[in-house]
Amino acid sequence: MNHSLGYNLGMLAGVLVGVLVGVGIIALLFKLKVMDLTFDERQERARGQAYKYGFWTLVACLLLYGFSDMVLGRWCDVITGAMLCIAAALMVFASVCIVKDAYLSLKEKPRAIMTLLTVVSALNLGIGFMNWKHGRVVEDGILTFSAVNGICGLVTLVILVVYVVNCLLAKQEAGE
Amino acid sequence: MKNLRLKSARAALDMSQQQLADAVGVSRQTINAIEKGDYNPTIKLCLAICKTLHRTLDELFWEE
Repeated sequence: MNHSLGYNLGMLAGVLVGVLVGVGIIALLFKLKVMDLTFDERQERARGQAYKYGFWTLVACLLLYGFSDMVLGRWCDVITGAMLCIAAALMVFASVCIVKDAYLSLKEKPRAIMTLLTVVSALNLGIGFMNWKHGRVVEDGILTFSAVNGICGLVTLVILVVYVVNCLLAKQEAGE
Repeated sequence: MKNLRLKSARAALDMSQQQLADAVGVSRQTINAIEKGDYNPTIKLCLAICKTLHRTLDELFWEE
């Protein structure tokens, strides 16, 4: 699908403004100490291992995506393909962190994180469902950028499920 | 190998894992992992734990 130069510039400007606002909000939250990502030495080490697994998952997925594009032809937008690879890497990173008790920093509260994951997941899955219902997810047999909300929703849902299951297992272990 | 000496030193001061963790600036899971022998702490953390529990490094961490 070809768009005019004005459309593309508008999209680029929109993305840039969105990123700037996002970075500004996160910087403000850090400054106000609402967000505090301090991890202890065991958590830092565990997160390092999780980054490693996430990185190799990303590499493997990018190779797989490139190979599938070569063999099957174009089946999704490039940005959507990249998002799929990032989603897989993020799921691996978060899951390893959760299993190793290194997902939450020292100041973060489990209930707040679970609430945040639930809200983000529900919002994205809701938007993803609407996109799918209006036929925007797959156009001419190609997975479009509109699928990204669904992908993000699925990623946060998987992370939430892994987190809850890990919490339940830890409680069970502590009770034994 | 489980670190039972750490666990008993903590219990002797009537401290929970969370209280010890807060005192030395780590997560409760990290104290739990050290007691279970799943994690080898750095010397910096060992010293912080020793100071908090009023014990020496030998008493808590030296293996005969």
